[in-house]
Amino acid sequence: MKRILSDFRPFLGLMRAGTGRELLAGAALAALTGLMGMALLGLSGWFITATALAGLVPATALAFDVFMPSAAIRLFALGRTAARYGERLVTHDAMLGVLALLRGRLFRGWSAPGAARALAMRPARLLFRLTADVDALDTVYLRILVPLGTAIAAALAAGILLAFISPALGLAVFTVLVLAGGAVAGLTARSASPATLRRAARTETLRARVIDLASGQTDLLLAGRIPAQQEALAMLEARLAADDRRLNRIETGAGLAYGLLAAVLPPLVLVATAAFAAGGRIGAPGVAFALLVTMAATEPFAALRRGAVDFARARLAARRTGPVLRQPCPRIERDEPCPGLVAELRHVALRHDAAVAPILRDLSLSVRQGEHIALIGPSGVGKTSLIQCLAGDLSPETGSVRVLPSARLTQRTELFRDSLRDNLRLGAPGASDAKMMAALTQAGLEGIIHALPDGLGTELGDGGQGLSGGQARRLALARLMLRDVPLWLLDEPTEGLDGETARDVLARLRAAAGPRSTITATHIRREAEGADRLLVLGNGGIKATHIRGSPGFEAALDSLRPD
Amino acid sequence: MPRQTRNDRTAQKACSAGIPDLLPTLAALLWLPQAALLAAAIAAVAVDASLAEIARFAALAAVLGSLRALIVWVGERASFRQAREAVSTLRNAAVLALASRSPLDATRTASGEAASMIAEQAESITPWLARFGPTRLKAVVIPLAIFLTILPLSWAAALVLLIALPVIPVFMALIGWRAQAASKAQLVEVGAMNAFLLDRLRGLATIRGLAAVDRVAERVEQEAQSLRARTMAVLRIAFMTSAVLELFAALGVAMVAVYVGFHLLGALGFGAWGGMLGLGQGMFILLLAPAFFEPMRELSAIWHDKAAGQAAHENLLRLAQEGRRLPDAGQSGPPAAAPVSATGPAVVVRNLDIGRTDHESPLAGGLNFSVNRGEHVALVGPSGVGKTTILSLIAGLATAPRGRIEVFGQELRPDTAMHLRAGMAWIGQNPHIFAGSLAANITLGRSGIGEDAVTRALAALLLDDVARARGNAAIGEGGAGLSGGEALRLALARIAVAPQAALILADEPTAHLDPVTAGEITDSLLELAQGRTLIVATHDPRLAARMDRSIRLAPLEGRAAA
Repeated sequence: MKRILSDFRPFLGLMRAGTGRELLAGAALAALTGLMGMALLGLSGWFITATALAGLVPATALAFDVFMPSAAIRLFALGRTAARYGERLVTHDAMLGVLALLRGRLFRGWSAPGAARALAMRPARLLFRLTADVDALDTVYLRILVPLGTAIAAALAAGILLAFISPALGLAVFTVLVLAGGAVAGLTARSASPATLRRAARTETLRARVIDLASGQTDLLLAGRIPAQQEALAMLEARLAADDRRLNRIETGAGLAYGLLAAVLPPLVLVATAAFAAGGRIGAPGVAFALLVTMAATEPFAALRRGAVDFARARLAARRTGPVLRQPCPRIERDEPCPGLVAELRHVALRHDAAVAPILRDLSLSVRQGEHIALIGPSGVGKTSLIQCLAGDLSPETGSVRVLPSARLTQRTELFRDSLRDNLRLGAPGASDAKMMAALTQAGLEGIIHALPDGLGTELGDGGQGLSGGQARRLALARLMLRDVPLWLLDEPTEGLDGETARDVLARLRAAAGPRSTITATHIRREAEGADRLLVLGNGGIKATHIRGSPGFEAALDSLRPD
Repeated sequence: MPRQTRNDRTAQKACSAGIPDLLPTLAALLWLPQAALLAAAIAAVAVDASLAEIARFAALAAVLGSLRALIVWVGERASFRQAREAVSTLRNAAVLALASRSPLDATRTASGEAASMIAEQAESITPWLARFGPTRLKAVVIPLAIFLTILPLSWAAALVLLIALPVIPVFMALIGWRAQAASKAQLVEVGAMNAFLLDRLRGLATIRGLAAVDRVAERVEQEAQSLRARTMAVLRIAFMTSAVLELFAALGVAMVAVYVGFHLLGALGFGAWGGMLGLGQGMFILLLAPAFFEPMRELSAIWHDKAAGQAAHENLLRLAQEGRRLPDAGQSGPPAAAPVSATGPAVVVRNLDIGRTDHESPLAGGLNFSVNRGEHVALVGPSGVGKTTILSLIAGLATAPRGRIEVFGQELRPDTAMHLRAGMAWIGQNPHIFAGSLAANITLGRSGIGEDAVTRALAALLLDDVARARGNAAIGEGGAGLSGGEALRLALARIAVAPQAALILADEPTAHLDPVTAGEITDSLLELAQGRTLIVATHDPRLAARMDRSIRLAPLEGRAAA
């Protein structure tokens, strides 16, 4: 119990901090809906019985006050509808509010250096898991907490109402409802837990296997492994179906238990109250009232079964998102280097989490203000890792890194589903349209922007869809240029551009850099040509350094891809 | 329109009544005698009947109620099992279609999208298939049965319900339409929100690189808040329509209660066919009134399942639709293993027309060439001329519109494709990395590849450093953390452990690589190809220069190279 609470604590904290009051109001309205329904049924039963008895004797029939109860019946009918409508509105609105907050917090959490790298390493699976977790947390309130509150409120109300007939009866009904109802829910949650968790993991595997089949089809075909892959998928699906059947057995089992409770408890109450009636403590109307109130009180428990089955998945989601929610986005704080330098690395070793071997073992480097450096070396030698380290995405395992604020152009052009303006503003929040146009001009995009009917307001698709590769690269450059920092980190800035465009982009980049320093990771000659210093990475450090004008410089350039 | 009929069939299955579908209706009908017993018990209390008699009524009611719960349970289990089986069938059909579609088919669904259709979306089909049919049946039968039960007792009470009855189909339609619109809108909105978040998370390196994390986090929150506002606007209307249904239901119950009360009191003498209702009858009518509306409320509650389930169902059927298929797709029985001749050329191509699709006019026509055993040949020519297509046709990954291909003296036909493929190996420009360990990525589950063979292949392809770094950790997801060169070496290692592959087909293996890595890959490829036949499609003049000869493909007469 304690462990469950501690798993859910971060999310519950978020709920309280977010829309706590609305969430409570929603739960209260849900309980009120149940109570109104109970009152409607109970009162109607009492009313019919009482009128029937009164109707037998003309004198009492005339004296019978029909208006209070019949008005109350109509009031409860209307009130129930209104409460239900309000409940649905308030609960959904409040939950959407919590989810909005959750998404923002999760984003901040994922932006932490370590988490961001994990995301980059296994994007599809983690992103899928992230959305599945958000969906699962949605159930905590709507499917678990609200139905639980409603059921308990109903049991309590029935207990109190029946206590007017007999305190013992009220207590007994309340106890039976809460104990039996709670035990069924608890047992359901517990027995569904393994299958629920297995199912979540298997669904992820199913995804991965389908992607393997679709993307790796040629490899599998040539290796003669298509039938095996198909068989593996069929087996996985059979296991998933078995999980589903098991969960359905558990869920319908809970339904059966609640159904039996609803079938047996009201007749028991009927007999008990009939005994009181025989003793003269109450009349037949009281019996009818007790019967209908009990019937109404068992109803909300049926809604607990779905939430009980989903509980383990919600808990898994709470446990997985918990660490992210608990800590505010940590940052890698960096000291400033000595004056005149923009970056100073001493005996730096870099290692990715998953890797056993370090990428860089011992690298020392000082970059002067205004210096242009090119990092070269074969793929996998650690060029991008060094850029990541300078950008604060990767902490050195050993050694020290001192660097001024930087802006980074990633290897893959990363644009966002947003307007051109908001894409540009990412780097410079306060930038005016004029300043943005100036940057676009510098990047060689002004003609294209002017041709767009919406200009800077043009909306881009996911990942910047709607622009050609070259245009997207130029836009990313314009975004970089808007960022006023002393160091630019460029990872293969013109990869994928044709020679002419690339040279144009590079010239513009150099012009825009002005007094800034640049560090470029590259394997294309044109990107390295303009550097003051070429650093050849290898053997876990800097293998060779070539200063512009030295004989090694040209030789190193010649080893690069011509265009 | 095979798709239409299949769609109809499953949809029909969802709505037609099988035995399990009848059970919920049967259970709901049992409420009639159960309610009668409870009402009789109350009436018995009113006339001071013996406790034993009351207890008998109550016990019978409890037994009927328990029976009802049991029937519901059996029905739910059976419907679920049927529905889940249908989902398995749909999933397996979609997987089969994915497996037998030609890799050259340009209309293939993107792998991520296919995965989402088969994995998550398919899950929403089960509740729709399992619950919609039975609930709809119940919504038709139960109100009618209750109406017919009450009518002989009291036409007035039946009339009250009847007033609600014509209103209900109208609201049913309204709710169906509104709820569907609402759930669709909500699905779209939530999907858009998730897409928004994923879009930003994918670009996290840039966002961090521009120190924009806080600003983007605020945007995410703002976006989610505006999603909340838009969703609520839609939900408000949807909830309003169902609130109206609820209102009719609640007012129906209240009116029946009030009418019966006044009637019993003698204030409203009409309505019982000239007679007077007793307490038992009045109570019976009261107990039936809520049950009259219940199935309708249930149906409106699962309308959401229907929208999501149908959409997912259509997607899966679309995925399983015919596209351009593998030559040997649908071949049954063991593959023909006609003797592969030990002499003669490795590959002979005669009068071959090639096209990217089966119907498109060919990219090239009347191709003739042959490749000798052990020969290393480059296919060169401008991009778009069909180099990849030729390699794919030789590998039996698609059927050529016209012409004949022989591999090791045997004609490539649907019945021989699988057998011939066993003697080939393929390396593409972006090898797929499977979810699993490095070693599993090399063996690909093929039998007879020992650990030492894997170790040797890793060493031969300079992957032992990577292997040491990775250990048994899973790679995959497009080769996270593997560089382009490493991914290609991994693909070469797959060939290294398959000595029976006498023909290696390589599609632009050095594209996207820096010159040093490209050189290393070329060396490794040539080393692997020693004693084997190698056909390389390439733009890389350095790679082509190291082959025994080049076959230059020219664009078809009158057609410019794409």
